[in-house]
Amino acid sequence: MDTTVYQPIPGTAASPGTPAVRARSLTKLYGKGEATVRALDGVDVDFEKGAFTAIMGPSGSGKSTLMHLLAGLDTASSGQGFIGDTEITALGDNELTRLRRDRVGFVFQSFNLLPMFTAEQNITLPIELAGRKVDAETKEWLATLVQTLGLGARLTHRPSELSGGQQQRVAIARALIAKPEVVFADEPTGNLDSRSGAEVLSFLRRSVRELGRTIIMVTHDPTAAAYADRVILIADGRIAGDIDDPTPESVLAGLDALRTLESDPADGLTGTTTAVRA
Amino acid sequence: MVRLTLAQMRRSIGRLSAAGIAILIGTAFLTATLLAGNIINRVTTDSIAAQFADSDLVVSNGPGIDPAGLEDIRGTEGVEAADPQVLRAFELVSGGKRTYQVVVPAASDPRFEAQELVEGAMPTRSGEIALPSDVAERLGLGLGDPVTVVRSVWTPGAEDAAAGTGTTADEGAPSEEAVAPEETAPADATADGDGASAPAEEAAPGDEAAPGDESPAGTFVDTNEKLTLVGTLDDPMGAYAQVGGAGVLSNDDLTTWEADSYVPGEATTAYNAVLVALAPGADLEAVRSSITSSLGGDAKVWTSAEYAKEQAAQMTGGEDVFTYVILTFAAIALLVAALVIANTFQVLVAQRTRTLALLRCVGADRKQLSRSVLLEAIILGLVASVAGILFGIGLVQLALTVAGTMDLGIPLPPVVQVTAVAVLVPLLVGTVVTLVASFSPARAATRVAPLAALRPSDAPTLTSGAGRVRLAISSILVVGGAGLLVLGVLLGQQGSAQAGLLAATAGGAASFVGILVGAIFWLPKVVSLVGKVLTGSGSTAKLAAANTLRNPRRTAATSTALLIGVTLVAMMSTGAVSARMSMNNELDGRYPVDVSLATDGYDEFGGNQPVALPQSTIGTAEKVDGVESVVPLTATSVTVDLDGSDITFLARGVDPEAAGTLVRDKEAVQGLAPGTVVVPAGVAKDWGISSGDQLVLAAAPLPDDGDPQGTPATLEALVTPMGGRALLVTPQTLEGVATGTPVTSAWVGLADVNDAASVVPALQDALAESDLPIDVTGAAVERAMYQKVVDTILGVIVGLLAVAVVIALIGVANTLSLSVIERRRESATLRAIGLSRSQLRWMLAIEGMLIAGVGAVLGILLGILYGWAGASAALAVMGDVTLAVPWRDVALVMVVALVAGLLASVIPGRSAARTSPVEALAVD
Repeated sequence: MDTTVYQPIPGTAASPGTPAVRARSLTKLYGKGEATVRALDGVDVDFEKGAFTAIMGPSGSGKSTLMHLLAGLDTASSGQGFIGDTEITALGDNELTRLRRDRVGFVFQSFNLLPMFTAEQNITLPIELAGRKVDAETKEWLATLVQTLGLGARLTHRPSELSGGQQQRVAIARALIAKPEVVFADEPTGNLDSRSGAEVLSFLRRSVRELGRTIIMVTHDPTAAAYADRVILIADGRIAGDIDDPTPESVLAGLDALRTLESDPADGLTGTTTAVRA
Repeated sequence: MVRLTLAQMRRSIGRLSAAGIAILIGTAFLTATLLAGNIINRVTTDSIAAQFADSDLVVSNGPGIDPAGLEDIRGTEGVEAADPQVLRAFELVSGGKRTYQVVVPAASDPRFEAQELVEGAMPTRSGEIALPSDVAERLGLGLGDPVTVVRSVWTPGAEDAAAGTGTTADEGAPSEEAVAPEETAPADATADGDGASAPAEEAAPGDEAAPGDESPAGTFVDTNEKLTLVGTLDDPMGAYAQVGGAGVLSNDDLTTWEADSYVPGEATTAYNAVLVALAPGADLEAVRSSITSSLGGDAKVWTSAEYAKEQAAQMTGGEDVFTYVILTFAAIALLVAALVIANTFQVLVAQRTRTLALLRCVGADRKQLSRSVLLEAIILGLVASVAGILFGIGLVQLALTVAGTMDLGIPLPPVVQVTAVAVLVPLLVGTVVTLVASFSPARAATRVAPLAALRPSDAPTLTSGAGRVRLAISSILVVGGAGLLVLGVLLGQQGSAQAGLLAATAGGAASFVGILVGAIFWLPKVVSLVGKVLTGSGSTAKLAAANTLRNPRRTAATSTALLIGVTLVAMMSTGAVSARMSMNNELDGRYPVDVSLATDGYDEFGGNQPVALPQSTIGTAEKVDGVESVVPLTATSVTVDLDGSDITFLARGVDPEAAGTLVRDKEAVQGLAPGTVVVPAGVAKDWGISSGDQLVLAAAPLPDDGDPQGTPATLEALVTPMGGRALLVTPQTLEGVATGTPVTSAWVGLADVNDAASVVPALQDALAESDLPIDVTGAAVERAMYQKVVDTILGVIVGLLAVAVVIALIGVANTLSLSVIERRRESATLRAIGLSRSQLRWMLAIEGMLIAGVGAVLGILLGILYGWAGASAALAVMGDVTLAVPWRDVALVMVVALVAGLLASVIPGRSAARTSPVEALAVD
């Protein structure tokens, strides 16, 4: 394994030409024979560096599957996925683990903090898992993150002593601590009230604008998607639309357009916060 | 509700079966113990019954049946033959080999013959003997070969009975009748390594009619009888298996010898039982009543089967104790199993919080929830117990089958006989234990609020909830128990070992229960401390340490289960090693050397004529593996004039330099030189001799050949911590006092006295080839003897406790797999943020080792403390107690615990590693 490939790409210095994440004919099949379901059907898509991209689509559209494949959490049936120049669809489990540890960050819907550790311990966990010391540079970066995310007074608290919004901000700090090339956020506001949700989304946007990170977020909420620089719409496992500089209105319009394409308009009704995900 | 319970059980089948295994092992242990007890009883009954062969009736009488009674029985109508039941033991000698052998008279009717001939014939006349084929082989005898039987004969007139030694042997007073010295054998000699004195005592109580205070003048003299081997025997039914097989003598010889073995007028021949064979066509009941009436008194007439049952019942009183002891260990195993079960149910209830709350929302009341948990426990207990009983039966059957293929000389039943007790008791105990263990989880289930159904599901946690009552009970038990323990030690040191041991046992048990009850308060803190130390060693260890602290109660319960077994194991081995060390110290003080070989060993008072020890014996001893050096000692009887009277002593001559290298305490021979005599401290005390006294040693008059040659020597006494009763001088001095003193003994030094258990038997075997009876005594010999006993007992106890430890380790595995299931999402998150599969597995392995290791370390510490307390209380009467730590056992327990903790994490680790990181994204 060529370890040099896994060095985190520092800051935003990467050449603007190469996308952070790419998918080429990415396909994922579930089941066999008659019962085969094409969750993802030959998707080609690029995600730019230093951008905040939202993936949107109705239930069962394949948006979560796309993220799982691009993040190296799941294996593709065919096609290729790249993070930078690394073809992740060709990596084994241990290589994927190192890739996730060093080059990818995650933000989950249910926060997924470790209950027995303090906020600070949770944030630095990826560094420790990688067997690295929390050095001066990391400390500085931690201070920046803590300040940006407004966690200063909460670092010694355990997750059970934090509100949902605070927990999610800790989770964002954890995702950013190793300065990953890309952060995947899966419905980061799904478990939050709208005020905390808005807070978290603006933090995500600030991470991109001020800290130069790359974030790919899966959401079904047009308001949340509107915080992104770009929205990619997915339906039936294919890319169905691409909206730059979205507003809630333009996103809703795009979704409406999708809805008219569907055979059964009642299915795939999204836009409400109670929608059930695939 | 029942349907719901069953549905829930189906969902938790994996977790339940892990808990079930704990109960399964416990009940299997219990079943196997009960069945084994039955088999022992049955084998005992069968072998007793086998002694009666095909006889129809057995007549017994309280005081015994005299020969006249036997004739009465023989004369009863319908009786075809009647033989008395006689078992006697004699020493057999052939060449240099000797053994104690139980013999029975030849049967007058083939129906009374319990054994079968392999070859040759049964003895029919005086001077003939038949022996079990293995005994004949051991003695190197073939048909027609001569064999010597040593028997005691009452000899009137030999008044000067042996002084001091207290044996009934004749050595003290060699008389006209006495045979040549090399043919005398001490009646209680056990030095031939056969250890055959036990059957002699058991089988021949009549022989114990030793000279009483008012007995006529005379003494017992060993007499040799030359017999011819006419037949070899097999004992297919194991009639005499318990006494190591029986030889057969002609009735004439046995009757004559029997009469010779009593002091005239003191005792008469009486038989415990008489076997009766009926004439063809005779009515059993009629004969029975006519014998009863003709004998009168307490006479009872049994059928053979009835009598065997009665005898077995009397005998197995002792064996039931054995069963009870093993049942204690089964109880410990079940207690540990109960802890594992309680733990599992706690977790199950915690995991089902949402379901339980939902049920409460839709109208289930507290009682129903509690009943559901208890029902689940009963079903689990029943199923696991049934499986355990089957497993136990299978184990015993397997043992029987394996034992059946080996020739153990005991006729074992081929198929295990299952009794109602052996099934019902384990079934009841297993079910009740499971039920009781689920009481607390059932209560926890009732505390689930309906509201819990509406809360987002967090990882289930059990609040510690350890109440003040628990703390109070625990403190009282620990403090009170510790007080009793100290009292026990003090009592022991003041000489009342029994009261001390009793107090120490009660105190130990109470404080241990207190410690277990209070484990929830302190055990997690210890784990946390150990965990903190581990935290330095990396992120995986840090995660593992943090994980063990998430649920203190569970960690405490899991560690406690292991703590019980480990404490008991450590206590036993600490007690054993302390006992061993204390005994070693005690022996070191008593014996000057490791081993001493002597031909005159019984008479350190100097009353006997020394018998020369052949040079070849010394050569033989030197060749034995583990023997470092052998130093010959000359000896003769000397008289010393003390306060005007001549006192006879045995004086030994030994080279001072060689002796210095051998004796355990160098001071014992310090200063030994020409012109000095070493006086053992014990002798000095008895006779008022002190260092610097001038003693005149003169050769003692020999009993058989007149005056000794030599010149008396005046020597300076040196009182030293030497053991024994013999005076020590240089060989040259002794030769001057009595010319031609023979070498009669040798001191043997072992390369490592801790090897006594293997070297001493080897030495005894090598010396058994000699024609001379040689006494092998010394610290190493006793050490070898008790080491074997201590090691055997310890091995058995540790083996039995191991079952409890195994169950506890299953508990560790169970806890880990429950944790894995609980932390599914968390494992996935860790995988998603960069924990590799092997790191995840390693994390669980550390967790397992932490739980097991802490339990083991604490168990070892407690066990050592208890072992020391027990040893102090019990052994103080022996002298100074040496408190020792069984390092080897401690290390072994530690390694076993850590490896087991590691192994316990393998299966949970695999399932955790299979967790896909995608699951971190799942919302339930």
